[in-house]
Amino acid sequence: MIAEDTLVDDLRRPETQAKAFEVLVNTYKERLYWHIRRIVLNHDDADDVLQNTFIKIYKNIDGFNGESQLYSWMYRIATNEALTLLKKKSKNMGISDAELQERMVSNLEADVYFNGDEIELKLQRALATLPKKQKLVFNMKYYQDMKYEEISEALQTSVGALKASYHLAVKKLEAFLKED
Amino acid sequence: MKKADNHKNFKTPEGYFEGFTDRLLDRIATNESPEKGSVLPKSDGFGVPDNYFEELNAKIKAKLDQDETKVIKLNPRRNYLYYAAASIAVLVLLTIGIRISRTTEPTFESLAKSDIEDYFESSDFGFSTYEIAEVLPIDDLEVSDILENQFADEYIIDYLDENLENFEELNLLNDD
Repeated sequence: MIAEDTLVDDLRRPETQAKAFEVLVNTYKERLYWHIRRIVLNHDDADDVLQNTFIKIYKNIDGFNGESQLYSWMYRIATNEALTLLKKKSKNMGISDAELQERMVSNLEADVYFNGDEIELKLQRALATLPKKQKLVFNMKYYQDMKYEEISEALQTSVGALKASYHLAVKKLEAFLKED
Repeated sequence: MKKADNHKNFKTPEGYFEGFTDRLLDRIATNESPEKGSVLPKSDGFGVPDNYFEELNAKIKAKLDQDETKVIKLNPRRNYLYYAAASIAVLVLLTIGIRISRTTEPTFESLAKSDIEDYFESSDFGFSTYEIAEVLPIDDLEVSDILENQFADEYIIDYLDENLENFEELNLLNDD
């Protein structure tokens, strides 16, 4: 895999930009897609957000100051894009965040790109009840198997707070799933 | 007395010690994992259309090209035509505008605060709050720039006095 520093340099040089961008997309598309998908739940929205995320990265690469790692910067952009989409949706529909989450989960039942069984659908219902941060941390740790240090950089939250959030999320989800 | 490491009568499976560290770390990770024996499902049931990831690069490139064609410079000859058309349009608009401008014209001051807040709330600027905070000149800001209701100094002093354990440690300067 190409080193991040080299990739960023190549993205900034016009003669190597196109090739470097292709490498960037190929390297991160799946990881970012699944991160976004677990926030917005349906494929079409995830596809929109993912494309916008990469376009924003491409256009703002000069603004990347290198203080954090490239992937965590990209995760931050992806997270912001996904959350902004949800905010716009709830505003346009005139409903609260919680109501939107409920509707998103209900729509999963008819979603052709959701093959989850009863327990997986119930997990989504449980996730919809969690605070935003706990939901993000749970998905990044449990499903994406990210290290706390990586999540900390991406979400700009201390490792201690993340561990607490994850622990709480797991307890709440387990309690929800054990309910009849 | 026999040496403690004399173990010629015992044997271990081939490669036992080579893989020992990895096996031990795996076991520790499994034992520490809070979801051991958990009811949480291992997969979440999401799927994607066939060939979605293979076709993604081309889709993003097409979207970028589309964005870039919007800012391609027009060639000089066509520019003249555009400038001429634009000048005529400006003249026409100015003439109409002068007549209409006697009626009220929106200004920044005339905007309701709620409209401005609503705009910030619903518009996507492409910046996170962290990025905005980086460029916001905090040093030049006063509390009065943010709060509508002004607090008299004595109220602030009273508040700090009541709510801080060591009020004296603040080393407040007395201007009087």
